[in-house]
Amino acid sequence: MNLNSRWGRLTRSPAFNGYALISPTALYALLLLAAPLATVIYLSFMGDGTGVHQVIHQFQLCNYVGDCNSYRTTDGTLAVAEGYKGAWSDPLYQALMLRSLGVSFLVTLATVVLAFPVAYFVSFFVAPNKKSLWLFLITIPFWTSYLVRVFLWKVILGYNGVVNSGLLSLGIISEPLTWINVNIGAIVVTLAHAYAPFAILPIFVSLEKIDRSLLEAGSDLGESALMTFWRVTLPLAMPGVVGAVLIVFIPTVGDYVTPDIIGGGKLPLIANVIQKQMLAIDNMPLGSAVAVSAMLIVGSVAGLFVLANRRFLKVKK
Amino acid sequence: MTQRPMIELKDVHKYYGDYHALRGINADIKAGEFFSLLGPSGCGKTTLLRTIAGFEDITSGVVMIDAKHMEGVPANKRPTNMVFQSYAIFPHLTVAQNVGFGLRRDPRSQAEKDKAVAEALEMVGLKGFGARAAHALSGGQRQRVALARALILKPKVLLLDEPLSALDKKLRENMQVELIKLQRQVGITFILVTHDQEEALVMSDRIAVMFEGEIAQLDDPETLYRLPKSRKVADFIGHMNFLPAAIHGEANGEIEVEVLGLGRCHISDKQAPGAVSGGEASIGFRPETLTILYEGQAATDRETTGKVEEVVYYGDMTYYDVKLDGVADPVRISMRNVPGRPVLERGASTRVAWSASALVLFR
Repeated sequence: MNLNSRWGRLTRSPAFNGYALISPTALYALLLLAAPLATVIYLSFMGDGTGVHQVIHQFQLCNYVGDCNSYRTTDGTLAVAEGYKGAWSDPLYQALMLRSLGVSFLVTLATVVLAFPVAYFVSFFVAPNKKSLWLFLITIPFWTSYLVRVFLWKVILGYNGVVNSGLLSLGIISEPLTWINVNIGAIVVTLAHAYAPFAILPIFVSLEKIDRSLLEAGSDLGESALMTFWRVTLPLAMPGVVGAVLIVFIPTVGDYVTPDIIGGGKLPLIANVIQKQMLAIDNMPLGSAVAVSAMLIVGSVAGLFVLANRRFLKVKK
Repeated sequence: MTQRPMIELKDVHKYYGDYHALRGINADIKAGEFFSLLGPSGCGKTTLLRTIAGFEDITSGVVMIDAKHMEGVPANKRPTNMVFQSYAIFPHLTVAQNVGFGLRRDPRSQAEKDKAVAEALEMVGLKGFGARAAHALSGGQRQRVALARALILKPKVLLLDEPLSALDKKLRENMQVELIKLQRQVGITFILVTHDQEEALVMSDRIAVMFEGEIAQLDDPETLYRLPKSRKVADFIGHMNFLPAAIHGEANGEIEVEVLGLGRCHISDKQAPGAVSGGEASIGFRPETLTILYEGQAATDRETTGKVEEVVYYGDMTYYDVKLDGVADPVRISMRNVPGRPVLERGASTRVAWSASALVLFR
């Protein structure tokens, strides 16, 4: 009886109802996010076996630092099969990480710089009854698959692509240009296009929230339109800009489809080697260690960025 | 020496598409004056204020500030500053940064500017608030910040767009008095937009009452209250009773009128401030100009009889709706509740004293 009433009190409490409400989502997050993440972190400290997806469950740090070994098991005993360097010790991974970060920086910069005027235009110059139409139009690229959009850029920028064949047929060039397809620029263009709506929407929302009388106040207090933008609009739009930067920066570091398709495998990024280690080379501990390292680096960069902009994020409306 | 007005408005028209928002505004606002634009919502008072501030272009007419044409002069180049209805306090800045916002191009040193900011904050009663985050302020404090931010630039004209409407009654009444004191202290021309007639009467040197894009009457508060030019103005400012009247003659600056329920009397032609409209004439009078006589009290001028229909007790005042003999609609009479004067019951018969000098004729 006592237990019953306690149970009854518990189920009636707002906290319980709150947890009950989010439990499907929480369960989903636990199973599909936390569990795989824990697995990857666990694997990154284990040893690699030579069998398919074989892992030697023995704690070690060499997947990160120092020299490591893959093991062959024969008759229950371990024998060294092959040596390799840990993720932080191998200069290859350092170089790839830097290249990935560089690509992401460029993509983020290009996306946010191009997205801001679009968001500004929709928020400030489009009639209120047409704004939802504009947002709808902006999301049209999402109607097609990400892969299709990436291939589209290959068709445009590729060796026999639209640009090259157009220039060839016009006689402007005599041989297809290679610098427009297999290079960082092509990857940046493709990714920037793919992530543009992700950047436009948060910036648009933060611009929409700005009380227009603040801009009038800026001009009333003697500032030109440009200075009012600089001193009022931009600081107040910063939460949206920070959101856009994070939304673009974080996933692009992990993107491996675009470098594969656009770069033709010649310009791998960090995600491509993770994929390779996990599947083709079948060294899951090393792949996991690279993945965890990349995650930590991206997390720190994002954290530093948020920290640097925290004075803008504190502002309540 | 005749002083040029601070602001001259000459036949100002403003269209929003087909909508005629300002229909030929003519007004001169004197330097150092506390001027109010009073009217119901949608009458164009805020539009007029915004045309003075430079936020709205006018379709035709002339706006002059301090003898300079304002055509093509943007808001940031005008010698006006505004206190917005929403106060428009920058939420990402501190109180001091808000107040000092307009000082960026001021040639003074930073230390002098900081001193000016501190002085401005002290003037509005926010001494020591400089370091606070602006978004954490209360409504009354925001308003003071907005005032300090505008006044620190020493504008020729301060524009106030319903600055008190967001405050509760007590705070509003305090701020009214403070604003009047502040205006006297700084000597700047204040233009206040309000829909609250009481606020306009309390604060202004002169009031322009606006209806549908036109100024219906521009006068000092007392004239506006005692001698409204039209029934519409009379109705908007305070309460006014109206009784049908017939004009019997006009001679030597006097008008003879027959008022329903009051009888025949002579009034001065000054008591007919409005233009002749040719319609039916009526007599208006304020609730406090009639007196309910108690037993044995004699009227100083004229008296009539009636019956109390409704009693509304306000503490210091009692409002009576009295049906005068021979009149269908009751008139409102307000009486101060003084010791020894009993509050009448509903249905009581009473005598009402009145004087011809308090009547206003509309025709």
